[in-house]
Amino acid sequence: MKIVASYSIKGGVGKTAASVNLAYAAAKAGNETLLVDLDPQGASSFYFRIGARKKENTGNFFSKKHRLLKHIKGSNYKQLDILPANLSFRNFDIMLNNMSKSKKRLKEMLSSLKNEYDLIILDCPPNLNLLSENVFNAADLVLVPVIPTTLSERTFEQLLTFFDRNDYKKKKIRPFFSMAQGKNKLHHQTIKDMEKKYPVFLKSVIAFSADIERMGIHREPVLAYASQKNHVQSYRTLFNEIVNIL
Amino acid sequence: MKASRNNYTRYLLPDKMTKKHFMDTLQKCFTINMFETTSETFSILDSFECGLYNQRMMAVRHENNNISLWNEDDLLDPELSLDIENTTVHSRFWWDFPDSSAKEILKDILDLRALSPIYKGLLKTEQFNFQNEEGKILVFCQLISISEPATPRTPVMRQAKLIPVTGYMKEYRQAEELLKELGGFEATLPPLDSLLGAIGVLPQPYTVKPKLNLSASMTARAAANSIILTMMEKQRLTEDGIIDDIDTEFLHHYRVAIRMTRAAIAQLKDVFPEQDVEMLKNRFGALARKTNLLRDLDVFILDKKRYMNLLPESLRSGLSPMFDDFEKSRTSEVKKIARWLSGKTYKNEMTELEALFEHGYSALETEWSEKPTIDLAVNKIQKRYRKIQKAAAKITSDTPDEAIHDIRINCKKLRYLLYFFGSMFKKKQVKVVINHLKSLQDTLGVFNDLTVQGEFLGNYLYELEHKPKKDIMLIASLGGLISSLYSMQRLERDNCIVELAIFSNAENRQLFKETFIQPKEKNMESEK
Repeated sequence: MKIVASYSIKGGVGKTAASVNLAYAAAKAGNETLLVDLDPQGASSFYFRIGARKKENTGNFFSKKHRLLKHIKGSNYKQLDILPANLSFRNFDIMLNNMSKSKKRLKEMLSSLKNEYDLIILDCPPNLNLLSENVFNAADLVLVPVIPTTLSERTFEQLLTFFDRNDYKKKKIRPFFSMAQGKNKLHHQTIKDMEKKYPVFLKSVIAFSADIERMGIHREPVLAYASQKNHVQSYRTLFNEIVNIL
Repeated sequence: MKASRNNYTRYLLPDKMTKKHFMDTLQKCFTINMFETTSETFSILDSFECGLYNQRMMAVRHENNNISLWNEDDLLDPELSLDIENTTVHSRFWWDFPDSSAKEILKDILDLRALSPIYKGLLKTEQFNFQNEEGKILVFCQLISISEPATPRTPVMRQAKLIPVTGYMKEYRQAEELLKELGGFEATLPPLDSLLGAIGVLPQPYTVKPKLNLSASMTARAAANSIILTMMEKQRLTEDGIIDDIDTEFLHHYRVAIRMTRAAIAQLKDVFPEQDVEMLKNRFGALARKTNLLRDLDVFILDKKRYMNLLPESLRSGLSPMFDDFEKSRTSEVKKIARWLSGKTYKNEMTELEALFEHGYSALETEWSEKPTIDLAVNKIQKRYRKIQKAAAKITSDTPDEAIHDIRINCKKLRYLLYFFGSMFKKKQVKVVINHLKSLQDTLGVFNDLTVQGEFLGNYLYELEHKPKKDIMLIASLGGLISSLYSMQRLERDNCIVELAIFSNAENRQLFKETFIQPKEKNMESEK
């Protein structure tokens, strides 16, 4: 079982779109896949037409496997399950703080699912806190969507620095360009510069597209309703790239 | 989730239920989304031995002649079938199919058997999602209906398969309740049996080996009659398959059944009036002899590939005229045998023979006819084994082939005795004996086949000599083949000698001594 996190300090960069479509592509390719919606806003749960769970004692979330299994929902697609968001995820940080081994709780919890899934995808909230550190420990790969703008470049650098300072394996980080606009010269230049500076960037570029934006209306992965379009296909190539790395 | 696979329940729904009724009832709790429906004439296929059924599988030939194969758990699920495409209505043997994983499975199950339809009808599959208002799927449902072609509107079977979605158990129970409300009830038989049962198909697996549970105390005559009647029934069951030329195994089993009947007559001759034994043997022998040529041709044609591979590439095509000859002879021979089997003479003969044994054979008692069967069994099995053992002891590298063939025939006789009477002795030990015997017989069988095939080809070559037009390549190929078979036969002979030594060694002698004895009453019961 492999764990991939879709993570960024910055919000609105396409994390959820990536999580949802990668999970869909993985399941289509025959992998038993679980998408864990760690974002209390529950966007990825929403895309799969699953309501947020009622608020409840999150303490169990990190400690008991059978409690966890009870919350998993099958999606509308074969081999793709969702662990929906929970409003109490807002308090993860406080809760984790009070636990022993507080940075490895998520890893332990997910490893109890190793017989059930081939791939787990974590859709993470835009933060840099104790939950994020749990994600860094748990994930085999931290996928970082980067909009090709100066501001995004800065937050990406912040993340690298954080990994350095806290002794996380920087090799886990694999950024890719997200919401890139083909006609935008600045985007072009930034992509060129950053690719030179950071060879870890994945080759697939997810373009900004109205089709992807419309996921909220369709409430389906864009790969499920517009899979023929080129800019949508790039989610599939992104998935293939990830498979090769894993 | 991997653990969630194969969690489903099947409900048999009433035949009279209408689609509207179904939809109306389920719409009480769900939004119904029907996303796929197929309807076609189809046939369920299996071999005469019910090979697929025995392996808990099902094969279906679709309207377009493609074939789908399912495991019991996935029956008729269009997404879970192994498919064979590009087939015609004439593709019946595994080797007729294009390469695929389904072909490999069929190869193991069918061997020389053909697939034939065991049911023809109309198949309708409908797939539904039961959803909530947000379009989230809560339960999957597959509706399968099978109807007779004459009455397509009233299905003979209608089954709903409910497949849960992880995390929506409450909704799943709700759907179950609604199906019950519709008059459905949960199918409790294994899926294959409940489906076949509902359409009135009862697979009756055929095997030529008799399952006789003769009691030790019944009279020897009654036992012999029972054996012979069982084998005659098995013989008769193969007749239609031979007439329709379904596959070559029908004739093969026809002949095996007769051979066992003859073995019973010959080996248990003491239970019949002396003057009748020859007559009975001859009458059955005559039936078998009629089919000798067809069987020989079958064996050669089935082995065509193997023969070709025995020759260097340059000589292979030389054999083609011979195989063309064989195919031609086979076609006319099949017709001849079919005519004979469907004819009055044959039918009368069988009726007469059956009548003989059905009525206790004869009023005339013989020395053995009224003795308990167990006495006869012990006597015959021990005698036969000693005979083999003595002959085996005399075998050297100089022994003529005929002596080995004699032993082979004696082994066959012993094997048949074990089929007939084995159930009267200790199960475990009999199994060991049969395994030893089987291994010996396999080797002897190969040796015999090589000899017979060599002779058959030799005769064919001899006949060519008298034909005006000679095909040099064919003659060369035949020469190559005959010598190749000969050297294989020599090698196999050595194997036979080794196997024979094992079969007659002290350990096996002891095994026979201990196994085939008059059991003490009490022990017998406890062993069973």
